[in-house]
Amino acid sequence: MNTPAAIAAVATVGMITYASRAGLIVFLADRPLPANVTRSLRYVGPAVLSALTVNLIAGGQGIDGVEFVEVAAIASAVIVAATVRNLIAALAAGMATLWLLLLLL
Amino acid sequence: MLEDRTGNELTGREVTASALRAALPLFIPAIPFGLVLGVAITDSAMPTAVAWSTNLVIFAGAAQLATVSLAATATWLTLVATAAVINLRHVMYSAALSPRFKDQPRWFRWLGPFLLIDQLFALTIVRTDTPGPQWRRFYLSAGIFYFVSWTTSVTIGLAVGSSIPTEWRLDVAPAVMFAGLVALGLTNRPGIVAAIVGAGVCLLALDVPNNGGILIGAISGVIAGCVADLALARRDHRPDATSGTP
Repeated sequence: MNTPAAIAAVATVGMITYASRAGLIVFLADRPLPANVTRSLRYVGPAVLSALTVNLIAGGQGIDGVEFVEVAAIASAVIVAATVRNLIAALAAGMATLWLLLLLL
Repeated sequence: MLEDRTGNELTGREVTASALRAALPLFIPAIPFGLVLGVAITDSAMPTAVAWSTNLVIFAGAAQLATVSLAATATWLTLVATAAVINLRHVMYSAALSPRFKDQPRWFRWLGPFLLIDQLFALTIVRTDTPGPQWRRFYLSAGIFYFVSWTTSVTIGLAVGSSIPTEWRLDVAPAVMFAGLVALGLTNRPGIVAAIVGAGVCLLALDVPNNGGILIGAISGVIAGCVADLALARRDHRPDATSGTP
């Protein structure tokens, strides 16, 4: 990605981020969101972040870009996050699994 | 804030001190995230300075991490659209906090939202009895603390990251981080459905050009989550599962 494209991307994401934070505060003060909008927004987080995880693992090479060690790292991070409820522990478990498998395999 | 319930007027400095005391424990889990982002910036297909500037321009960890890590493979439009979708949760925060902003000065209504990260939302939404001016000072103190500490931890990650050999495979860390965030956020069954469908559909759609699979997966996941939510609500004979606070 060249510099002008990168600057444009960062600036656009910045404006969108600000708009999503400020929109209801600055422009629509104290107007409640419809129930179905609230419901949809609640599932945006898990849906997009899990899709993004899969996409980053593939690294733009389709299913061939998915390595076993990466899947194992993700799986242990998910298990630790779900049981210990701690992001640092999840990250540590994921990376430890990755490094252990890279050493062994 | 216990101090408020006693009816005593807190000095500005006391409000700032209580904001920092409350803000610090919530920031500690964000430190490794900041370090991962710093390392991802050294790996990014974007020029380092531009990728670093996401701290000042975007100031939202997940959207920043997506922006700098997708730069290698995604088109401009996919990158922006993905970051926009990741940020949609802020609309919820904005909606929930807007009553507190209604009587605030104009400058604060424009500046405040820029600082509105997950931790700041968690801290300020619960302080319902705090009077407006104190709430504003609390919000700004905690928000500026997060802004400075976040930028610092990302910068440390950036400095350290460039000296770590590629064999350590730190390029996998952003995906591990996102997976951990998803799993931490899963507290109910519709959320689990949304995450599984989002990941599964994205996997099937990996060959869609321009990383379009992310958005296809995300939209499918949201629809599946809503369907599961409505189905559960109907089964439990509740009028609407969304009636609680988000």
